[in-house]
Amino acid sequence: MNKSPTRLLVVDDEEDLELLIRQRFRRHIRQGELDFVFAHNGKEAIEKLAEDPDIRLVLSDINMPVMDGLTLLSQLEAIRPEIRAVIVSAYGDMENIRTAMNRGAFDFVTKPIDFKDLEITIRKTLRHIDTMQNALESRDRLVAITRELEVATQVQMSILPRDHAHSKTHEIQGMMIPAREIGGDFYNFFGLDDALIGLIIADVSGKGIPAALFTMVTQTLLKGAARNFTSPARCLSEVNELLAEDNETCVFVTVFYGILDLRDGTFRYCNGGHNPPRLIRGDSRVETLPTTGNVVLGVFPGHDYVDGEIRLAPGDALFLYTDGITEAQNARIEEFGEERLDEKLSGLNQATAREVVNGVVDAVHLFVEDTPQSDDITCIALRFNAVLSA
Amino acid sequence: MADESTLSIQTERVEKAVVVSPLGRVDGSNAAVLESAIQEQLDAGEKVLVFDFKDLNYISSAGLRVFLMTARRLQGEGGKTLFFGLSGPIAHIFEISGFSAILSIYENRGDALAAL
Repeated sequence: MNKSPTRLLVVDDEEDLELLIRQRFRRHIRQGELDFVFAHNGKEAIEKLAEDPDIRLVLSDINMPVMDGLTLLSQLEAIRPEIRAVIVSAYGDMENIRTAMNRGAFDFVTKPIDFKDLEITIRKTLRHIDTMQNALESRDRLVAITRELEVATQVQMSILPRDHAHSKTHEIQGMMIPAREIGGDFYNFFGLDDALIGLIIADVSGKGIPAALFTMVTQTLLKGAARNFTSPARCLSEVNELLAEDNETCVFVTVFYGILDLRDGTFRYCNGGHNPPRLIRGDSRVETLPTTGNVVLGVFPGHDYVDGEIRLAPGDALFLYTDGITEAQNARIEEFGEERLDEKLSGLNQATAREVVNGVVDAVHLFVEDTPQSDDITCIALRFNAVLSA
Repeated sequence: MADESTLSIQTERVEKAVVVSPLGRVDGSNAAVLESAIQEQLDAGEKVLVFDFKDLNYISSAGLRVFLMTARRLQGEGGKTLFFGLSGPIAHIFEISGFSAILSIYENRGDALAAL
């Protein structure tokens, strides 16, 4: 063990005590376990403490010239709050000992000193100091992590599209409410060119930081793939291969990616194991987009993703969501479910994209009441208003 | 009867296979328990695991991950992973996620064991 010795400050106006302590604890000193510093009154003690940051424990007499032990104690809290003090005083001085304890002394031993007892008291006090220090360090780490998480939340939120597109031809609104500080869901929408609008929604398995890390990777890969291929299936195949490399832990991500052609309302999409989106017809019928029979991304390399296609008429809207909506539970452990979702959407057939998103999220909140949210809630609505004329 | 809010795991040897029955629910809070129970079987050199989902009431994505990992690992070692007894909600999740097209899923225990 090459740990440096634990340093103690002994404060006593009896000159003999220094010798006595060095003699009684000579074995501990020689073995590098303990190290003693001496002061002869409170004022000297404060000077020693100021020049020696390694002192962890103070053994102090009460009655001393210049500055007594009680005054030292009341100042110790202000200058070195992490240090614990053990009072060394005559048994007959119990009133002062009580005052010292009330001023924050950790323990006391009586004079004449029983060195066996003093050793036990020192060890006990040092254990207490260690525990305290560990707790404080843990707290500081927690504070630091919490601060980092806050930044991570901002980073995550900032990469979601902020400009909620609104034009003559269409409008889009997205929303994500993470269950924890950071989420495992994401959404994105972007113009591929003047006529093509990409829509993505995804949900990574698990929650919290591990899920969020995987989310960022997926999001970035999808962004790149979307630039290179105009087939959603091709994009998902590409991203699946990349994610599946070295994915020992089998974290996976469900991804729905669709591209709306504003010139004729054609919506080409591929569904990698995600909850099927809904198509809200202008006349209030709600249709479920047929799956493309594809599996989640990240665990099955070589899987063949295929495109599906439907056509939107002006006045129709698309609603993409994650299972945080349908699996939201109330206090009776009932799920919001797909039926309630479809019923809600049916009534929103004339609503704007923003109203659709807010309407569904409000309905979920109303349903769960004050039951804590257990999964990320994410959704996007796209309303197709009019065909883009050439 | 299985407690609906927690997870317990039963295992039973049937010739060359081990039937693993998770009872209750598997979610983020107990997926690690399931993972280590399966790991024990894999460490013991088992190559064929048959999962009985008859009494599984709920599974979250964190739970699905564990089964995927098992299936992939056994596949890599020339082993087999089979599933049977998926109830309505579980079957729905397997359907949506696309697992039902990729994993070996059987109606009941008899069918699963006959497929070995």
